[in-house]
Amino acid sequence: MESDLQRPSGDGARAALNELTADRERLAENVRVPRALMAGFGGVAAWWVGMAAATSPGQMYQPPAMGWLALAVSLVFVHLVQRDTGIRFRRMGPRALVAVAGAVVACLALYSISLALVSLGLHWGVVLTSVTAFASTTWLAGVAYSSAVARLRHG
Amino acid sequence: MAEAAFDEVIHAPLRLRICGLLSPVDRLDFAVIRTALGVSDATLSKQLKTLIASGYVASSKAASAGRDDARRITWLSLTPDGRRAFDAHVRALQEIAGLNPK
Repeated sequence: MESDLQRPSGDGARAALNELTADRERLAENVRVPRALMAGFGGVAAWWVGMAAATSPGQMYQPPAMGWLALAVSLVFVHLVQRDTGIRFRRMGPRALVAVAGAVVACLALYSISLALVSLGLHWGVVLTSVTAFASTTWLAGVAYSSAVARLRHG
Repeated sequence: MAEAAFDEVIHAPLRLRICGLLSPVDRLDFAVIRTALGVSDATLSKQLKTLIASGYVASSKAASAGRDDARRITWLSLTPDGRRAFDAHVRALQEIAGLNPK
């Protein structure tokens, strides 16, 4: 035990630092992206975009109050991802943030398109925008999570 | 940036590796650390006890979905003191190794 506590040689210090890098590599390799939960984010996005079908675009337009519920459900999914993987990230990294921002922008754009479709009486078109929201958000959530995991390798 | 400072509590091989895994994250589950290090529960618990007693690591338990009530997730994280000490220790190792960190 005592020898562990002594100052290491240069080689010993290098070996210790290399081991830290190897451990982070191993940690990153062991993490699997929780695909089902990523699809959960997609489901929330599809639900939110689909809410446009129940609105009445025009002068009396009232945004659906369920938007806050969608946000709350998203936070529940974040919690579930942390519990499932056993990791809570400190920083997600710029690539992950771009992916999350991309998902938000895509959902806002799809919601706007949905409102336009509803105002034209094309309610069925909201199915397409909802499916697109599901696919794009699921994919972007996976990209964000993978990026955060890859960032672990760099400490 | 932390000033280089060799820390004997952290330097014990397994404790250094535990801190190294906790450093880039906010917190990790006990089981994730055990798997990454390839050690037994008892070995990991013993080293964690020392780090917790030194105020370098904090631990908290949470109920886990998919497990029965008796099994809970044990979350582990570096405390601010632990993070400072680990960063300073890594800088000391870099200096000893002649890597001259900037």
